[in-house]
Amino acid sequence: MVAVGIGLAKPVEVVTPAEGEVFDVELEVNILRENERLAEENKGRLGSKGIHAVDVMGSVGSGKTSLIKSMISRLKQDLRIAVIEGDVTTTIDSDIISSEGVPTVQVNTGKECHLDANLIRKALDKLPLGSLDLIFIENVGNLICPAEFPLGSDRRLVVVSVTEGPYMVVKHPMMFRDAKVVAINKIDVASAMGVDPNKLSADVARLNPKAATVHTSCRNGIGVNEVIEKLGLNR
Amino acid sequence: MHEFAIATSLVEALLELVEKQFASKVLEVHLSVGKLRVVSIDQLKFSYGILSKGTALEGSTLDVEETPGFARCNNCNYTQKLETDDPTFHFGLPQMTCPQCETNLILEGGDELLITRVRMLAPSTSSTVLSNGPV
Repeated sequence: MVAVGIGLAKPVEVVTPAEGEVFDVELEVNILRENERLAEENKGRLGSKGIHAVDVMGSVGSGKTSLIKSMISRLKQDLRIAVIEGDVTTTIDSDIISSEGVPTVQVNTGKECHLDANLIRKALDKLPLGSLDLIFIENVGNLICPAEFPLGSDRRLVVVSVTEGPYMVVKHPMMFRDAKVVAINKIDVASAMGVDPNKLSADVARLNPKAATVHTSCRNGIGVNEVIEKLGLNR
Repeated sequence: MHEFAIATSLVEALLELVEKQFASKVLEVHLSVGKLRVVSIDQLKFSYGILSKGTALEGSTLDVEETPGFARCNNCNYTQKLETDDPTFHFGLPQMTCPQCETNLILEGGDELLITRVRMLAPSTSSTVLSNGPV
């Protein structure tokens, strides 16, 4: 975790206590202020170099890595891309991504269930920021915890697959609140799963009317170009 | 699961406050946590209990006020309370499209995660008191 000092915002009332006296301090301090400060710092650092960063979230097995890989193979001719791969322990995802020949930094969170802005700050130190246009940040496969920890990306992609069942969106509403694009993935097996991708899209629209929803199948390359376009990454 | 990380940030902020206020001990901590945050209060308290051991925070009570969600439409000024008492957080975030004019609603409350009040004990310096007394 972050171990940097946390500045205290607007102490409303500070009473100077006598020795051994009980006293109250009223304040309004955001508990996760330090993470948010570091996220803003990351955002500023990326912005000053003209780098866009996409935070990719979704369950284990939803297809985050496959979608990132598919987007890289379409974009790498025009953009200088790097990937930050968050995982609890393994390097499986970064091994898959590095076959695309782009710089990849693995961040193992150990026992933590999410990436935080401090881990991203350290990962950015390892990347050649002067010669990049785009960074994909793949979060840990978890739909609850990462929603609480902004990283400093300038857009968020959430990946949901039809194999996760029909209630994936409504059961994890917070994850979709700040998404720019939601990919409903693995639509090639939707009928076998008995899941209606349009129903999932409608759930997203209800929770976040601003998000664009795209039906994708990484296996068949369906929808990948549209995700790129809706994320505003095409040139 | 992430409550441990939140508790770690909380303990860091409180220990910094203790230092700034020259307090010897923290007795009570009051938080305001929005009902739309995905934070389990029980897990947060449990983590706080573990992390506060051996510090000036040990033994302090953690009081959490849960604040309700509130949304507003900036276009037609429609307001909506977002009530959710579902402990599993399922179906916690309601429709964010204005039912009157179909503009996007803005979340104005329910996502707070704040320290609001801290009760502390000033250090007692009995030796100073004795030496200052009339002879």
